[in-house]
Amino acid sequence: MNQRTSVDLRNRSIAAFLSFLVPGLGQIYQGRTAKGVIFFVSVATLFVLGMALGDWSIVYWRWVNPLKSLEKFYGWYLLQLPAGLLALPGLIQATLAEYGMDPILWGWQAEPSQDQINSLYPRLGKLVEMGTIYTEIAGMLNVLVIFDAWDGPAYTSDTGRAAASVAATAPQAVEASPTNSAAVSAEPIANPGV
Amino acid sequence: MFSSIHIYFYVIPLVAAISLVYSGTRHESTTRILVQAARLFGVILGVLAASTAALLLVNAWV
Repeated sequence: MNQRTSVDLRNRSIAAFLSFLVPGLGQIYQGRTAKGVIFFVSVATLFVLGMALGDWSIVYWRWVNPLKSLEKFYGWYLLQLPAGLLALPGLIQATLAEYGMDPILWGWQAEPSQDQINSLYPRLGKLVEMGTIYTEIAGMLNVLVIFDAWDGPAYTSDTGRAAASVAATAPQAVEASPTNSAAVSAEPIANPGV
Repeated sequence: MFSSIHIYFYVIPLVAAISLVYSGTRHESTTRILVQAARLFGVILGVLAASTAALLLVNAWV
């Protein structure tokens, strides 16, 4: 039970990991189904739409040392990767290619050929950048989703006040609430005479 | 398919997703999430529209 928000987060590590794999899955695991669906629809739609804008060729990774050849380093993927399973095939394909193995999943998110990359901008123009931004923002939004699975919402649902400020201004009230009885009994009272 | 859409309209799904996820991380109640997301969506689009209008105005002047 989250002391600040009265939300049962179950095993928060598992929830956060599930939300990393599939946006919103951690919330569904915690029983916050509607919220999980909202997260999944938002992040997955944005990511897939971004990939479609970039002709399915803008999410990939290549193992390159940026200190040695910065021009070949595809850093955008680092922002796409937090989208979890939506972007993880790119990492797997790059690792397979690094070891000289054939791509799997019909080459899904495998690094496109240089000719294919060069043809993207003449064919699609700004849509390539727009698609890249979509997928990057989707990845960054999933960081928020993961954090929500880990720590619950920022505000208490009944008052709308910032949970952190509630806990800071009235710690006794938070600890004494009936929904946090487990937390109260687990922590000994430091100074019962006061 | 996508090239026929004006580039400005591509901001709409982006702002919608940002509003929904941000509001989702703030609140727990679904109703409150949706209301807050709709409000945030309007504010972001309003700010973007106003700044775009200002830039277009300046551009037309110069």
